[in-house]
Amino acid sequence: MAETKVLEKKESGLTFGKAERKLLTDPLDSNNPITVQVLGICSALAVTTLVSKAFVMAIAVMFVLAFSNLLTSFLRNSIPKQVRMIVQLVIIAALVTVVELTLKAVNYPIFKELSVFIGLIITNCIIMGRLEAYAMSNRPWRSFLDGIGNGLGYGIILIIVAVIREFFGKGALGGFKIFGPGVDFLVDTSAISWLSWYAPNNLMVLFPSAMFVIGILIWIHRSWNPSLVDIS
Amino acid sequence: MHSTNQVIKFVLIMTALVAVVLAGMNTFLKPTHDKNEAVYNKRAILAAVNDYLPSPVTELSDEQVEEIFSKISQTVIKVDGTSVDKEGVIAAGYKEGTASSIDMGKERKKPENEKILPTYGFTGEDGKKYWIVSVRGKGLWDEIWGNIAFEDDLNTIAGVSFDHKAETPGLGAEIKDNKDFYSQFKGKKIYDGPELRSVYVRKGGAKDPDYEVDGISGATITADGVTEMMARGLSYYEPYFNSLKG
Amino acid sequence: MELVNIFIKSAFIENLALAYFLGMCSYLAVSKTVKTAFGLGLAVIFVLGITMPINWVIENYLLADTGPFGTDLTFLRLILFIAVIASMVQLVEMVIEKVSPPLYNSLGIFLPLITVNCAILGGSLFMVSKEYNLSESIAFGLGGGFGWFLAIIAIAAIREKIIYSDVPPALRGLGMAFILTGLMGMAFMSLMGIDPSAI
Repeated sequence: MAETKVLEKKESGLTFGKAERKLLTDPLDSNNPITVQVLGICSALAVTTLVSKAFVMAIAVMFVLAFSNLLTSFLRNSIPKQVRMIVQLVIIAALVTVVELTLKAVNYPIFKELSVFIGLIITNCIIMGRLEAYAMSNRPWRSFLDGIGNGLGYGIILIIVAVIREFFGKGALGGFKIFGPGVDFLVDTSAISWLSWYAPNNLMVLFPSAMFVIGILIWIHRSWNPSLVDIS
Repeated sequence: MHSTNQVIKFVLIMTALVAVVLAGMNTFLKPTHDKNEAVYNKRAILAAVNDYLPSPVTELSDEQVEEIFSKISQTVIKVDGTSVDKEGVIAAGYKEGTASSIDMGKERKKPENEKILPTYGFTGEDGKKYWIVSVRGKGLWDEIWGNIAFEDDLNTIAGVSFDHKAETPGLGAEIKDNKDFYSQFKGKKIYDGPELRSVYVRKGGAKDPDYEVDGISGATITADGVTEMMARGLSYYEPYFNSLKG
Repeated sequence: MELVNIFIKSAFIENLALAYFLGMCSYLAVSKTVKTAFGLGLAVIFVLGITMPINWVIENYLLADTGPFGTDLTFLRLILFIAVIASMVQLVEMVIEKVSPPLYNSLGIFLPLITVNCAILGGSLFMVSKEYNLSESIAFGLGGGFGWFLAIIAIAAIREKIIYSDVPPALRGLGMAFILTGLMGMAFMSLMGIDPSAI
């Protein structure tokens, strides 16, 4: 009797043991939202043209994911079954609107660049998917961690794709031109003959290239982790 | 399984909470939003005279932008060349009554005789006088707009800045992002004798050194949009320019 | 004539799936067989066709300055649009369940999945930014849905055939679907900018 009581007490606290760490590390590899769960693709294509955009988006998604997981988990026993989906969507939509209003006040130029995509965070299947799969049946602290973990998994893929696309598409990273003509950071190749042949690959700036890059990333990911072959 | 009553209560409480939080945030942040938008527009206008600013517009802080802008003379005109006073601008729907508060998107939809347009008079770091006007048109997917700066002769372009709602990154969006494109406009002329010829964005490369610029490969429709926007937009200012030249 | 142009434009030239890459999650997850793709595509056409006019009314009569509340309520746009979409999908689900149980069974989980299909919300947001009137919005909605339907059937057909090809194990399935979609997207890029009304 005393044993189970002690166990229960431990679980309800804000512990950070093995199970919690798994919530953070699984989505980085074996349960990655983009490359395994096939979620969150649309935004991954559109915002990965620039590393700065991808970074802001990843943070926004992680925020909405973590807090909507948290809120839904708090309410999970009181949400009436008949309106379950609508309530989840309202929580997500409200949080996204909070992000939008905040971004508009804090950094207007980035807000202008990302406006449509912020709205589309609501339909980012990762958020809905994790609410259904995890937050509806788990405790708030763990749901919060699950949200952060999936946000990290999503963010990593986003940044990798953005780095590849911005580097090869514009010869720049984070807005700094690294090579190519007229550079202002590292190497001005209009003077250096052995690098000046590189004309930025314009295809990288367009949507289809994101599909190719992610496809190849999946190929590499599954070759490195063979347990994922044929999983989806 | 919850009863219908419980469902209705839950939904009502949730709706009320969300409405209060969002409405509260919006009301609280609206002044900041409006201020940010106004500064953003002013930056775009100053970007057209980027070369004559104390530092490049991307390095200026918001306060510096406001300070420089406060020294600019703003005049609002109609297409027939007459000027509009502050009350007229307010009556047209712009609460602040200044040229920079005019929404070019809204004006684009009005018939020609009802349009009101902003003009700006700016003195650069080099001591010379520059005139800036605003134009708006249509790109491939949605609207595009820009600010054109002229030297005192109201003929030679001193600089331009373009922006868009939804052009393709890497293609149409280059009108805004690619310095190699928009810097071409500097030095081009818009008048050929007495005739307003404007600048032609030519696919495949400019042929005439004074009146044409190179197009953007893969963005012909957007480039054509720029040509059209400038030709039409500048024609609205023609009577006013004539009155200035005296 | 203008309406037909908008339909053609949103179905073939500004294809929601292959030109804008919207609705990719369900597009990639549901396209393993033509049969399931067909069902989802039909449902998407239907939901887009219904939610477009409703959202138009909301945008122009409730949220605009001229609406009953007299102030600019556009910050509520996202929530209201998504609520409309969710309710419509719920409604469609109930109707199909009553009217045609076999269809309901074959669609299964795909029906609720439409709620989070970015093509639906994206379509409504495009309608707002393009400032279409009511009939144009309906044409845009039906055209967009039809285009998405054609796109998902096309890739499902290819994926059904490619099972018989010698694809590297790590690339099989999802990885290959990404590359195929990328190639189809490139093909659609060549159609960009065609104006049907000019033909």
